[in-house]
Amino acid sequence: MRMPGLFAVLTLTLVAAAALAPAVVSAQEAAPASTDPRIKFKDGERYLRDLSETFEIPRDEICLELSRYDCSKKSFRIVLGGVDPYDARVMQPLDQATLASPIAFDRVALQVCANRVAKDRADPAKALLFKPASGRPDRAWRDALTDRLYDRILRRDASVAERDRMAAFLEGVEGRTGRSARGQSEQTLLACFALASSAEAAFY
Amino acid sequence: MTSGRVRWFSGLRAWAAVTTAVGLSALAAGLASPGGEAVAKPPASMEFCKIYPTAHACAASPVVNCTTCHTVPPAKNLFGAQVAERLAPGVARPLSDADYIAALPAALKAVEALDADGDGISNLDEILKGSAPENGDSRPTAVSCTPGQTRSAAAGRWNTCGYDPVHAWRKVVLDVCGRSPTRTETDAFRRRLPSESSWREGISGQLDTCLRSPYWLGVNGVLWNLANAKINPQDSIKAGPRAGSIPLADYEWDYNLFAWMNTGDRDVRGLLTSQDFVKRVSDDPPTFAAVPEGDFKGMRQAGQTVPREKRAGMITTRWFSTVNTMFTPIPRTTAAVAYRQYLGLDLARMEGLHPAVAEPVDYDAKGVAAPACAVCHSTLDPLTYPFTRYDGIIRNNYNPNRLKNFVRTDGARVVEAPEAGEIFGQKVANLLEWSQVAANSDAFAQKVTWDYWKMMVGREPSPADQTEFALMWKGLKAPDKFNYRVERMLHALVLTEAYGRP
Ligand code: HEC
Ligand code: HEC
Repeated sequence: MRMPGLFAVLTLTLVAAAALAPAVVSAQEAAPASTDPRIKFKDGERYLRDLSETFEIPRDEICLELSRYDCSKKSFRIVLGGVDPYDARVMQPLDQATLASPIAFDRVALQVCANRVAKDRADPAKALLFKPASGRPDRAWRDALTDRLYDRILRRDASVAERDRMAAFLEGVEGRTGRSARGQSEQTLLACFALASSAEAAFY
Repeated sequence: MTSGRVRWFSGLRAWAAVTTAVGLSALAAGLASPGGEAVAKPPASMEFCKIYPTAHACAASPVVNCTTCHTVPPAKNLFGAQVAERLAPGVARPLSDADYIAALPAALKAVEALDADGDGISNLDEILKGSAPENGDSRPTAVSCTPGQTRSAAAGRWNTCGYDPVHAWRKVVLDVCGRSPTRTETDAFRRRLPSESSWREGISGQLDTCLRSPYWLGVNGVLWNLANAKINPQDSIKAGPRAGSIPLADYEWDYNLFAWMNTGDRDVRGLLTSQDFVKRVSDDPPTFAAVPEGDFKGMRQAGQTVPREKRAGMITTRWFSTVNTMFTPIPRTTAAVAYRQYLGLDLARMEGLHPAVAEPVDYDAKGVAAPACAVCHSTLDPLTYPFTRYDGIIRNNYNPNRLKNFVRTDGARVVEAPEAGEIFGQKVANLLEWSQVAANSDAFAQKVTWDYWKMMVGREPSPADQTEFALMWKGLKAPDKFNYRVERMLHALVLTEAYGRP
């Protein structure tokens, strides 16, 4: 949580989640709803291992609360589906998500995205997600960003409908973040958060 | 092990009722009296599965809950009331166990076509399909797709109407390797789709690779965590590496043995019968090696202290008796934990009752012979006797004269407690025989399978899962199928609809 300006965008994250999460879920639209769905929560550890790989940030550094406590091994261990047989004496993952689980999960998603975007800003040559537009951010810039995000976070291509939706979302957010490089990085962060906190990223 | 939440609640209710009913003559009258013939009616729980072997409830466990027929025993629920009405009408009560069991099939048959809860589904249909015949809100779930749905699902991104190889394969990578597949891997797997033998090979090969990963087999890995509830680790009394402040025993032996017996070409019954231990030589790649018996010499509390020929796998380790037996002469908790964790039967929820004749004797004067206690302790105490020769804290040895140490605290009769006992109604001379009966039981195979099912499928076997679940645990037992090899069973599990249908 060292990224300056983060708080300014925090409120926007809610908007982001609301605008994009349904879009991601409806990617499954071709199939009829499962009669007996058995999706499972990825759990904090699998989730961070995945993002560590695609965001190219070492697992031990990708998500630390107070710059110290690993998000899935320490801070949110139990609420994110882990166990702690030795101290908390939780032998098996909880059967049901706790009230705090979605909150913790969003917090982790946001932190990981912020972490990656900060690295991109600090070293543009090795940027993975955030690449500033050469001129005004246009549809091509937005589509390229969308493709990078789907590729890295959901490990697949975005559909046409998903690109449209993401472009509209980014355009809408631009009204609040502005078009500057900083504004673009905040848009990137929000879009990253929307995908990283989606059902598709969290469940399997 | 059937529908978990229902069982949990009904178990709690039964427990509360029993504990508050101490001294209630209405209840006491129907229950086992010490020294006399057992006149309790719990045998119905086992008879039921003999009569309806294909019932959903019987696929997961050979005994059904008392709540199949009772609200809180002896009070009957709607279904039980119908059965009771037709049970040996006109015959004087109380019925002996034998008369009761003889009359039960006809009484059950007579109510099959009835509909106790009036939900429009017959008792028999509900019993077979796993919904509750006494609860109008409980109906069998429909899980089949219409032909139209099946067609569109097969063309969709996920085949929600059948086994979806890509979905199943991705789950294997996530469940067993602990990560999502890369896009390159996914593309490669998709190329196998046109050929069923090719995608099956892809899934199977992926599983084999992942089963050797540190994520599955390593310290704090999946198998390690699967054993947590069985081992109950506590760092304050850990001995050996990273010892706690009061080192008494080392649970790492238990975790290693568990992982070992659950992998490779090993017979999983070794969990209850193994007399050898393995050590972890490396964690990445996870590698184990046999421990020569001599290595335990001089290790004291960090090693194993029960002589090799008296060991019974996970239930006689130094750790197991330290945390469970502690200082008790008749270690009921130890037996109950073994029964719960390795056979899936929780006596505290009245599961797996097999009352022994003339039990409990109450050698340690704990009052367990009172009728309200005997309902459970007529099973639990004889189940416990074979554990009485194994020391708990500090010594952790096998000692035929162990009970002499307890005369001062638990009364003179405590030394009369036999080493012989009873499990599943079978007499056993000692813990080694106990563990053989246990390891060969259906309950053991069901519990092993259940643990994996819960973890891999993500929930307890549902009514719709009944057929596949039974295939898994019966296959685990069958010499020509999985022959007690867990990994072989897992190869079949990931090919079930329950696992591979989104
Ligand atoms: C298949 C249905 C069924 C199941 C399962 C069942 N019972 Fe019963 N139970 C009955 C019926 C029917 C009666 C009435 C017997 C009679 O009329 O003598 C009964 C009677 C009893 C009684 C009263 C005994 C008496 O002599 O009046 C007790 C106590 C009892 N059951 C306990 C249990 C317990 C404990 C369990 C679970 C371990 C259990 N039952 C499981 C059907 C069942
Ligand atoms: C519903 C079944 C049930 C009933 C009824 C029941 N018990 Fe138990 N009892 C158990 C189980 C199971 C254990 C083993 C503890 C565990 O589950 O870990 C146990 C353990 C015990 C122990 C050993 C505790 C220890 O720490 O070593 C005593 C003593 C005992 N029970 C006494 C009684 C008495 C006295 C009654 C009657 C008032 C009674 N129980 C009724 C199931 C029952």
